Amino acid sequence: MTEKPFLKRFLNLRVILFIGLALAIVSFIGGSVGAMFRNSSPLVFLATSSPQPVLPAEKPFAGLFVTNTMIASWISILVLFGLFFFASRKMKLLPGGLQNLVEFFCEVAINFTDDVAGKKWGRLFFPVCFTIFLFVLTNAWLDLTPGFGTVEMNGVPLLRNANSDINVPLMLAVVSFCFVEYQGFKAKGASYLQKFFNFGLLACGFRQLFSGRFKNGLKDTFMGIVAVFAGFIEGLSELIRMISFTFRLFGNMLAGTIVVMVMIYLVPWVIPSLFYGLEALLGFVQALIFAGLTLGFLTMAVTSEREETS
Amino acid sequence: MAGLGLDLPTFISQLISFLILLALLTFFGYKPIRAMLDQRARKIKESLEREEDTKRKYEQAQLTVQEEIRKAHEQGQDIVIRATQTGREIAEKAEQEAEQEAQAAIKRSRAEAQRERTRAIDELRREFVDTSILAAEKIIEETLDKEKHRSLIEETLKESVTFKES
Repeated sequence: MTEKPFLKRFLNLRVILFIGLALAIVSFIGGSVGAMFRNSSPLVFLATSSPQPVLPAEKPFAGLFVTNTMIASWISILVLFGLFFFASRKMKLLPGGLQNLVEFFCEVAINFTDDVAGKKWGRLFFPVCFTIFLFVLTNAWLDLTPGFGTVEMNGVPLLRNANSDINVPLMLAVVSFCFVEYQGFKAKGASYLQKFFNFGLLACGFRQLFSGRFKNGLKDTFMGIVAVFAGFIEGLSELIRMISFTFRLFGNMLAGTIVVMVMIYLVPWVIPSLFYGLEALLGFVQALIFAGLTLGFLTMAVTSEREETS
Repeated sequence: MAGLGLDLPTFISQLISFLILLALLTFFGYKPIRAMLDQRARKIKESLEREEDTKRKYEQAQLTVQEEIRKAHEQGQDIVIRATQTGREIAEKAEQEAEQEAQAAIKRSRAEAQRERTRAIDELRREFVDTSILAAEKIIEETLDKEKHRSLIEETLKESVTFKES
């Protein structure tokens, strides 16, 4: 009697696997891949339009500058706002339901930021880092909801993954960059700029050269030139970091969308589901990387070298 | 870059959207949630402190109770000892009183006996006098002055008694 449910479950799993495999085979043979081997067109119920990825965001409403990625990001904002609004509307000391769920994730994120940046800075960095994380994640996962890109208006999809529009990753990178520099400047004052404009040693070298101490002067001038160059490289790396932020997210998200699109074209059934799962994971990882790196750079910006070495 | 879709109005629009989201989440999400988490942490800390305090008070009360029990025990012992001592004293006193009373009774009895004896002797003496008078009267058949006679005999007897006692 006790073995029956297990057997039943096992059989069910086997049946599901069998059906899945059958559908995959049918869609493989009947779809675009099979059609290529069969030298004919795909079966009617398996025929999908060939993927035509478009890089720039499109405008579904003629005459309006509103793009489909804008609409998607507004939906993300509404979803996140709704989630937090309803979770924090009637807060109780003993949480339950939505409040419990949101509080749990917030607490995990707070602990993470506190661990990385310390309690003092973690409290300050948490809102920006966690909002970046949530925004990227919601944009990515919203793309995976059924029917997301299927509604069209004027021949243009009404919704599109906001992360796959280069303006969104760039905007996030600019926000991250500005916040890092602002916090660094706020924490260290004018000395923060020394990281980029380090002329002290060079000036000292010149002074020594003009005062006749050639040996030390040459040495310090050389080291000063190296320091100025290092400062230039440092400044450049901050800007390049912004570009790498942008293209990491943009590339991953766009590639993910294109992969799913291509898989739907090649094998319309079953196989794209696996890529959907992969995309869900990828969205989470990208959100974590973006927010985590921002947090890391923030911590580096506000921590003095003395603290770092100690 | 235009091929990638880089567009300033879209960029600005997305930036504004993100900043709005940041503000909304900060004011409607993070702040109340953070306050609630802090409040809960404070409550838990307070509860733990209260529990610790209660435990400490309980232990202290337990010690006080034990001390009180010990004191009461000592007092009880003391009372028992005192009661025993008092009982013993009372018994001793009663014994002494009884003995005193007995002694007094004996003394009284002795005095009574002495008195009875004296009275009996007096009685006997009087009877003897009377008998002697009668006998003398009969013998000498001569009526003597009775009172004079009596005093004569009394004197004689006294002399004889004094003589005997000496």
